Amino acid sequence: MTNDPYFIDFPARIQAIQHEMKKDGVNVYLGSRLRTLSWTTDAFFPWRSYIVIPPDGLPTAFTFVIDAARAADDSWLDSDHVLGFAPMGGQDQITAVSDLIKSYLPESGGVVGVEAGMSNYLPEGNLTHYEYEAFEAALAGHKLVNALDIVDRLAMIKDEGTINRFRKAGRMADAGHQAVYAAIIDGGFKKYTETQIAGIAALGMRDAGSVWEWSFTGGNEIASGYRTGYMGGACTPPTERHLQPGEPLMVDLHSTFRLGLGDHTHNYLLAPATERQKWHAKNFVDLVSLCLQTYAPGISPSSLADKMMVFCEERGFAEFMVPGFEHGIGMLGDEWRIGRNDGPFPYWTNPDHVYQEGEMLICALQYACPEENIGFRYENAILITKDGCETMSKYPLAVEVIE
Amino acid sequence: MTALKYLSPEWATEAAKRLREQLTPEMMKNLTSSMITLYHHCPDGKERALYYKIENGVFTDISVREAPMPQAEFVISGDYDTFAKISRAEIGSRSALMNGKLRLTGNMVKALSLASIVDRFNKILSEIPCEY
Repeated sequence: MTNDPYFIDFPARIQAIQHEMKKDGVNVYLGSRLRTLSWTTDAFFPWRSYIVIPPDGLPTAFTFVIDAARAADDSWLDSDHVLGFAPMGGQDQITAVSDLIKSYLPESGGVVGVEAGMSNYLPEGNLTHYEYEAFEAALAGHKLVNALDIVDRLAMIKDEGTINRFRKAGRMADAGHQAVYAAIIDGGFKKYTETQIAGIAALGMRDAGSVWEWSFTGGNEIASGYRTGYMGGACTPPTERHLQPGEPLMVDLHSTFRLGLGDHTHNYLLAPATERQKWHAKNFVDLVSLCLQTYAPGISPSSLADKMMVFCEERGFAEFMVPGFEHGIGMLGDEWRIGRNDGPFPYWTNPDHVYQEGEMLICALQYACPEENIGFRYENAILITKDGCETMSKYPLAVEVIE
Repeated sequence: MTALKYLSPEWATEAAKRLREQLTPEMMKNLTSSMITLYHHCPDGKERALYYKIENGVFTDISVREAPMPQAEFVISGDYDTFAKISRAEIGSRSALMNGKLRLTGNMVKALSLASIVDRFNKILSEIPCEY
């Protein structure tokens, strides 16, 4: 037992994978996705890395040798189970990893589960074509099968330690918002560019203990003016654009706490704000509010989208909405698909995925009116609870007019 | 000193003597480990190994072995000719590793921390007059 609210039973996770491996006829699991590394090791692996999970006993992670000692220090695994690879005889990643895998395989031929597929998330980490062929050659006589569903199905329902890490990361994002608010009020915004707002938020979050603005989409995503209103635009790395009166400001913050991720967007209107801008803002806030009230076990991405778009139609702003209201989330590296790879388009979210209690996702809405140079984004990590959802960030929902 | 035949029992005895004399436990960082350099394609066609056992910075065993080879924490393997070239300073051991002429088995991170120690005793071994 432990009193650490952020405790995760990683050995139990490995045993759960090994149990599923046996059921699926997999002798050794070769993980290569960042999400798998995070979920199994409790350490950040920014370099190309692998984890070899044997039928029984401890797994062994491999990473670029320059970072192996640090990763071992951060992980629950010891330094004998976090190894480095390097471009040297016997120590290149294909040789080092396949040599270990072979030691676990029956000589008569075994099955190696690998992680293959595709993603629109660049740091996903599926095996490359070259790696697949190289491992296949190095493991001649054995069979490689795609087994990523094992980790995906086990990682779907979040345990208490993971949820608490996300709660903490959510509070850190809130600290970033507070820092931004303090900087921009009373005309303060006129002094800053988008990049400076990103930095102010970063300092606020770091002061609160966040270790990284984790998003691959540009760290803290800040947009002002017309950049808030890109059609379908849900990715705004900050620029040196100066904040200007009369424009919207979108502040999308990303904090990290023990591989748990904070992701929250707050929006402002920099005074003076027109009645039309306020109308857009009210549409957006009301829709986000309805969306958060709707998330619950039993609904699906498509059923939620249908309901939200009916509301948008009734209020006369459907043309400004991107008809998607979520993306997946898990420990660092798990940022895209909701649930398992079981939808009509391989490796994308299944629109009919039915949410269950204990799942987490990012409630994500993008409102954009390029013709009027205005848009808003909402993101917040949410936990599906018994009869609704819990937001990880507690920052009050509003589009504030900053004088 | 007359030249000794590389990897002969006489060479191994001289190697052990020099290593023990010239490397103090402090210079060896009080290391406890074991290492084999495995020589493929020796001139007589056999495979041989030079086995080092180090306890608290002291060489407790330096011996030339033939199959069955003992277990060791680190194994560096390659052709006899490659090791001979390294001993004659014709190529560097790092270069041989980086070019894949030598193969290292063992924890790479630990191996990095031991690289300077291995350099020290390789230098001592390279000073033994020998014929190949």
